[in-house]
Amino acid sequence: MKSDRFVKTLGYRRLGWLWLVVLAFCAVWLGWMLRQGLPADTDLTALLPADRQAPLVEKADRELGRGFENRFLLLLGDDDRVATTQALGRSLQQLVDDGQLAGIDWRELDLADADPHEWMGPWRYRLLTPQWQQTIDANGGSTLVDPALRQLFSPTARPDPVADPFGLLDAWLSRLPQSPIGAADGLLTLDRSYQPGSQKWSVLIGELEGSPYDLPMQTALHTTLEQFQQQHPDAELLRSGLVFHAAAGARQAKHEMSTIGAASLLGVLLIIGFVFRSPRVLLQLMVPLLAGSLFALTLTLGIFGRLHLLTLAFGASLIGIAIDYVLHLQCDRAIEGRGFRLRRLLPSLTLGLISSVIAYVAQALTPMPGLRQMAAFAAFGLIGAWLTVVLWLPRFTLHASPFTARLATGWWRLCQPRWRLSPWLALAGAVVLIVVCALRLTSDDSLELLNPSPAALMQDEARVQQLLDRDTGSRYFLVQAEDTQALLARLDELDGALDKAIGEGLEIDYQSLAGSVPTAAEQQANLAQVRKLYGAPLDELIQRAGMPAEVAEKARAQLEKSPMLTLANWLETPLGSLQQRLWLGETGDGGVAATVVVSGARNADVDRTLRALAESQTHQGATVEYVDRVSRIGSLLGELRRHTAMWVALAMVLMTLALVARYRRRAWRVIVPPFGATLIVLTAFAVTGVPLNIFNQLGLLLVLGIGLDAGIFNVEHARRPSAWLAITLSTLTSLLAFGMLAFSATPALHYLGLTCLIGLASVWALVPWVRPADDAYPTHDSPNQSSRESEHG
Amino acid sequence: MPLHRGFITLLLLLLPISAQAFDLEDLQRQLAATPSVAGRFEQQRELADLDSSLTSQGTFIFERGKRVVWQLETPVEERIELTPEAITDGSGKAAPPGGEQVAQLFLQLLEGDWQALESRFTLKLSGDRDAWQVALTPKEAALRERIADITLRGDRTIDNLDMRTPDGDRLEVRLFDQRPLNDS
Repeated sequence: MKSDRFVKTLGYRRLGWLWLVVLAFCAVWLGWMLRQGLPADTDLTALLPADRQAPLVEKADRELGRGFENRFLLLLGDDDRVATTQALGRSLQQLVDDGQLAGIDWRELDLADADPHEWMGPWRYRLLTPQWQQTIDANGGSTLVDPALRQLFSPTARPDPVADPFGLLDAWLSRLPQSPIGAADGLLTLDRSYQPGSQKWSVLIGELEGSPYDLPMQTALHTTLEQFQQQHPDAELLRSGLVFHAAAGARQAKHEMSTIGAASLLGVLLIIGFVFRSPRVLLQLMVPLLAGSLFALTLTLGIFGRLHLLTLAFGASLIGIAIDYVLHLQCDRAIEGRGFRLRRLLPSLTLGLISSVIAYVAQALTPMPGLRQMAAFAAFGLIGAWLTVVLWLPRFTLHASPFTARLATGWWRLCQPRWRLSPWLALAGAVVLIVVCALRLTSDDSLELLNPSPAALMQDEARVQQLLDRDTGSRYFLVQAEDTQALLARLDELDGALDKAIGEGLEIDYQSLAGSVPTAAEQQANLAQVRKLYGAPLDELIQRAGMPAEVAEKARAQLEKSPMLTLANWLETPLGSLQQRLWLGETGDGGVAATVVVSGARNADVDRTLRALAESQTHQGATVEYVDRVSRIGSLLGELRRHTAMWVALAMVLMTLALVARYRRRAWRVIVPPFGATLIVLTAFAVTGVPLNIFNQLGLLLVLGIGLDAGIFNVEHARRPSAWLAITLSTLTSLLAFGMLAFSATPALHYLGLTCLIGLASVWALVPWVRPADDAYPTHDSPNQSSRESEHG
Repeated sequence: MPLHRGFITLLLLLLPISAQAFDLEDLQRQLAATPSVAGRFEQQRELADLDSSLTSQGTFIFERGKRVVWQLETPVEERIELTPEAITDGSGKAAPPGGEQVAQLFLQLLEGDWQALESRFTLKLSGDRDAWQVALTPKEAALRERIADITLRGDRTIDNLDMRTPDGDRLEVRLFDQRPLNDS
C-alpha cells in the first residue's frame, strides 16, 4: 500500500516535470515564431466563412473590392483650396518617400498621361458607336461630313485628317464612362459647385504599398491626416478606402483591450485579494493563466500561422474560465489546509474541463475561420491552465486562511434558499420560457454586425461614393461562357436587355466589358462600314476642308493596317485597366467569366427585375447570375447562425446524456443552471426585442460551458461552503471578463458580452435553488473518508 | 558732394523701375481695360505630315471672365461657346473627352490670366505696351509632350496666338477688326 502510493506520487511528480518541459518547449517555439513580431490580423472579414460553393463569386468580390482595398481616396474642401491641398499633398508625398505608400496622385498632371489617342490609334476603325452604325446604314455616312468639318476647324480640337478625319475615336470614347474627376487650378478636382450646398473638392488618390492592415502604415497615415486637420481645422476632409476602416478597427480593438481588458483584470485582482488576503494566492492564480496563455498562443500560432487581433481579445478573456479551476482548488485549500485532497476535486475539475472544451469544439466545427481560431485558442488555453492547476498548484505551499473559511461559511449561510426548486416546477418554468421565446424571439443576420467602423467614417464613405457617382461593386451580374468571343456576345446581349430595361424606367446604370470590346464579328462589320464611310463622304470632307486629294488616299491606306481589338489588348490599355476588375478570366471548368457591375437605385423592385433579367439571359452554354453581395453575406451569416444553433442543441443533448449516465435522478440539478440560464437569456432578448444573431449565440455556448461547471460542482460538493464560494467567485470573475464585453463598441463583441452578462448572472442565481440536500458523493463530512476516497481514486 | 551722391542714389532707385516699366501686371490691367471685345478671326492650322493647312474664318465675341463665342463661317458654320465650366458646340453637345483642358487653356490665354497660366508655364514678356509679346513654355514634362511653346502678341488687345506642338504642328489664330463692346 505504501510503496503503491510512493509510485503514484512519483508518477504525479514526473507528470509535473513533463509539463514544465512542454511549456519550456512552447516558450522556445513561440520565441522563434515571434522573432519578427506578432503576425497579427485585424481584418474582420476573416470571421466570414470561406464560400466553398461559389469560388467564382468570391473571386468576383475580390476583384471588385480591390480598388477599395489597395487604394484610398481623400476629398478635400476648403475656402483656400489650393494652399491646403498642396500642404496635404506634400505631407502625403513624404509618406511615399518614406516607403509607407506606393504613390499619391493629386496634381493635375498626375493622371494626364492617359491620352487615348496615342494607344487606341490602330483599333479605331473597328470601333463604332451604335448611332454611327445606324447613320452609315441609313445614308452611307454623308451626314457625318458636317460634324467632322466642325471638329476639324474647332480651335480646341486636335485634328488628325490622315489618321482619323471623322473623329471615330472621339465618338467612341465619349460613350465610355467618364471619370468625374477633372483638373482645375492645377489640382485633381471634383467639381460639384453647381450642386446646391456643395463645392469644388480636391481629389487625392493614394496607392498602398502592401496590405491595408499593415499597422505601421496605418499609424503613419493616421498621424499625417490628424496633423493636417489640426493645422487646418476649417478644411473638410472626406475619407474613403478600406485602410481607414481597418485603422479605425485596429485603434478600437487596442483601445478596448486597454480599457475593458484592464478594468476586468483589476476587478478580478481586487476580488481575489479581498477573499484570500494573501499575495501568494494572487501569484499562484497567475501561474495557470500565464501557462495557459503560453500554451494557447504557441499552438494557435503554430496551427494557423497568424493570429487575429480579435482572437487575442476574445481568447484572453476566455482564459477567465481557467480561473474556475484555480478558484475551486484554492478555495478548498485555503479552507481545508492540510486536509486538502486533490483526488476529491479531480472528478469535478475534469468534468468541468471536458464540458467547456466540448463547447469550444462545437465552435471549432463552425465554418468561420476566425471563430475556429478563437475556439482553438480558448480550448488550448483551458487545457493548459487545467494541467497547471492539477499538476503544479497542490505542490505550492498555501496556508489555511481563517478569514477565507469564515467568509465561505458566512456566505454559505447567507445564500441558503428558503425552499428548493422541484424538478416539475423547473420543467413548468422552462416550458413557459420556451413559449415566450417561440412567440417573441426575432433574429438579425445583417452585415452591420460585422462592421465595427465608426458612424462618422461610414458617413464619409457614403458621401464620397455619392459625390463621385461611384458604384461600390456590391451588385453585379456574373456571366460565364465557354470562350472569350461567346462571353462578349453574351455580355452584349445582357447589355441590350439592360438598356431596354433602363429605357423602360429602371433607374440603374451599369458597366460592362462589351461596351468597350465588340465581338470579332461586330468589329469586322464595323470595319466594312468604315470602308463605306471612307468612300464618297471622305472625298467630300477632304475637298470641303480645302485639303489635297492625296490626304484621302493616305487616310484610306490606314484602314489596311487595322488590327482586331482583343479583350487582352483592351485590358492592357490605361482605360481598359480601369475595367480590369470586371474580368475574371478562366474559370475552373475551362470557360471564362466576367461581371457587369450595377449602380443606381436599390430596392426590392429593382432587385426583382434584375434577378428576372439574369434568369431570362441564361441559356445553353452560358450562365448569367445576379449577385447582391450585401444580402448574400447576410444569408451566409443566417446560415451560420442556424448552424451554430444546431450545434448548441446537439451539445446540450450530449451533455444531458453524459450527465444522466453519471448523476441519474440528480442530473436535472446539474443541467438547470446552464440550460435555465440559456433560456433566461433568450427570454430576456425576446421580451426586450434584442434580435438573435450569430454572436449572442456564441455567447450562449460560453454560458453553457460555465453554467455546467457550476452545476457539476454544486451537485458534487453540495454541502461544502468552499464550493459555493468558488462558484460565486468564478461567476463573478467570468462576469468581469465577458460581461464587460457588453460595453464594447464592436457589435460582435457587444452581443457576446451582453449574452454572458445576463447568462452568467442567471447561472449564479440558479445554483442555490437546485442544490441537493446532501453531496452526490459525500467525502468530507462522512466519517469513513479514506475508504470513500479510494473508491474513485 | 552729398547732394551729388543723393542724386545718384535716386537714379539707382529709379533705374530698375524704368527697366521693368511694363510688366505682366501692367499688361493684365491694360487688357482688362477693354472687358469685352468683338471682332473677326482667322485660324490657320499647319499639320506637319500634310503639305497644306486647315484654314477657317469667322467672328468672335469675348466677354472677359464669362465666355468666348467662336462663330465659324467658312468652310463650315458652327458656333462654339467656351466658359470656364464647359465647352459646348452648336448642338449643345459637350466637348470630346480631354477637350475641356484645351478649352480651359484657350480661355486663360485669351483672358491673359497670368496667375493661372504661371502654374503650368514659364512666362516671358518682351516689348512695350504698344507692341508686346508673351512667350509661354510648359514647366512639366507631361505638358511639354503636347505643347512646345505658345506666343501671344498684341497691343491694347490680344492680336495673335501662336501655338506649336513638339511634332511640328502649329496653330495660329489672328484676331482683327476688334472693337470694344460697351454693353457692360
